[in-house]
Amino acid sequence: MMKTKTWIAIIAVLFAVCAVMSVLIFTRKGHVAKVVLDGRVIRTIDLDAVTEEYSFEVRGEGTNVIRVRPGAICVSDADCPDRICVAHGWESSGGAPVVCAPNKLVITISDEDIDGVTF
Amino acid sequence: MAKRIARDGVLLALALILYAVEAQIPSPVPVPGVKLGISNIITLAAMFCIGPADALCILVCRIVMGQMFAGNAVSLIYAVSGGLLSYLVMYMLHKAVTHKQIWVCSVFSAAAHGVGQILSAAMVMKTTAVFIYIPFLVCSGIITGLFTGLCAGFVIARINNNIK
Repeated sequence: MMKTKTWIAIIAVLFAVCAVMSVLIFTRKGHVAKVVLDGRVIRTIDLDAVTEEYSFEVRGEGTNVIRVRPGAICVSDADCPDRICVAHGWESSGGAPVVCAPNKLVITISDEDIDGVTF
Repeated sequence: MAKRIARDGVLLALALILYAVEAQIPSPVPVPGVKLGISNIITLAAMFCIGPADALCILVCRIVMGQMFAGNAVSLIYAVSGGLLSYLVMYMLHKAVTHKQIWVCSVFSAAAHGVGQILSAAMVMKTTAVFIYIPFLVCSGIITGLFTGLCAGFVIARINNNIK
């Protein structure tokens, strides 16, 4: 049996490492949004090039309404059970991808240039 | 045998109630997979007071039934993979900790739950983009696992071996 102190030390180190990694990940910057449905990139949007707010629907396992405004993107409505994607709100920097796990939808934001093939 | 089924059924009902109550609490952070996991108190109690086989039965039934009430076919995959990975970690650790260190077992199994969910999410959604949530889910799992583990510790101390 390991001592409680040893366990606390192991858990504290694990927590610290993961916390630092999370901070590094969530503070990354980007401006190109990729809407990925069921593993396929269905739309690539340069958020810096958006001038007017608009929204569109994606249908896969369920339906999600995606809203785009200059510099930011969000899921404004969804029929998934948990609606975590809607609660995520506007995402602009790119650290955390907007995920709708039940509907197999992921919106990532990165620094990559838009390639014409996927649009 | 009849006593065993009755007892496990009661524990399953308790786990489902906790699961339903938890579903009503809105998640403070909009990250898929972050949740308190209070129904894990029942799994921990079953693991330490009854045995791994009964704990596994209660866990699997709770996940399948819980997802039938609130969830869909895809979220069932995430719930099962998270549940099974967390069970595996709990099973490996339950002999390595004392009854006062149940929270240690809970912390690691909660962290494993998040990892299991993300792994299956990456497979189902065919994207590795979700992997970047793994460190965050490990952190949240440590916090929620600590809470549910301490709760389970109190519960187990009260019921001791009376439910065997």
